[in-house]
Amino acid sequence: MKKALGALSLLFILGILLIVAHPDYGLKFGFGGKDWQTYRYTDEYYIEHGIEEVGGTNIVTDIVFDYRGYDTIGEATVLFTAIAGAVALLRRWRDDDE
Amino acid sequence: MSEDMGLIVKTMARATIPLIGIFGTYVISHGHLTPGGGFQGGATIAGAGVLFLIAFGLSEAKKRYGHHVYSALESLGGLVFLGVAMLGMSVAFFYNTLWRKGIVFAGKPGTLLSAGYLPIMNLAVGLKVFAGLVSAMMAIAAYRRWKE
Repeated sequence: MKKALGALSLLFILGILLIVAHPDYGLKFGFGGKDWQTYRYTDEYYIEHGIEEVGGTNIVTDIVFDYRGYDTIGEATVLFTAIAGAVALLRRWRDDDE
Repeated sequence: MSEDMGLIVKTMARATIPLIGIFGTYVISHGHLTPGGGFQGGATIAGAGVLFLIAFGLSEAKKRYGHHVYSALESLGGLVFLGVAMLGMSVAFFYNTLWRKGIVFAGKPGTLLSAGYLPIMNLAVGLKVFAGLVSAMMAIAAYRRWKE
């Protein structure tokens, strides 16, 4: 009973999220008016303007290194921190023998 | 138990490690044209390093691995990435000045020498990922706590 209830509520939440995210009758946020889809769904913009604005024919690289460059900086920082932490944790400690 | 994995695996590794390295370098250097890029190509070349370590053993890998060299390479990659990102600082962070003003790497889109700072950034990120993954793998292999 409890499990079925939990599954049903998860399904309900998923349905609400699907409706909210739908472009035709979902939530409209950002600038109002007719242009809200161009501000919210930027993929068309990237595909049309990526080659002339950034220059790479690989649109994913255009997005990763130009439009979303801060995200890539964060990724590089995460990698650096993870490796520094791994090396710091795994190195020989003072009271290890040998 | 000896450290390396025997003659067959070592011969295969000798044959495949250069090919893996060439493929990874191709993925990095064509990152602005074809699928892939700095992260993927760097991880591919680091895979060649992993193959070397498990095929030839830790002591052989330690002879060819310099800790200071790899930490310097990783720092160099990160600094080049940040420095190239700051080139267009007069307009915005991550502004592709090299492409829009046509300074270097300004060929036709689709050729190798195009796309402004994207090839430089791909090289920097690839170097960083390769050095970082190899360092992490060597740390995991070298500093294990249990006895043989």
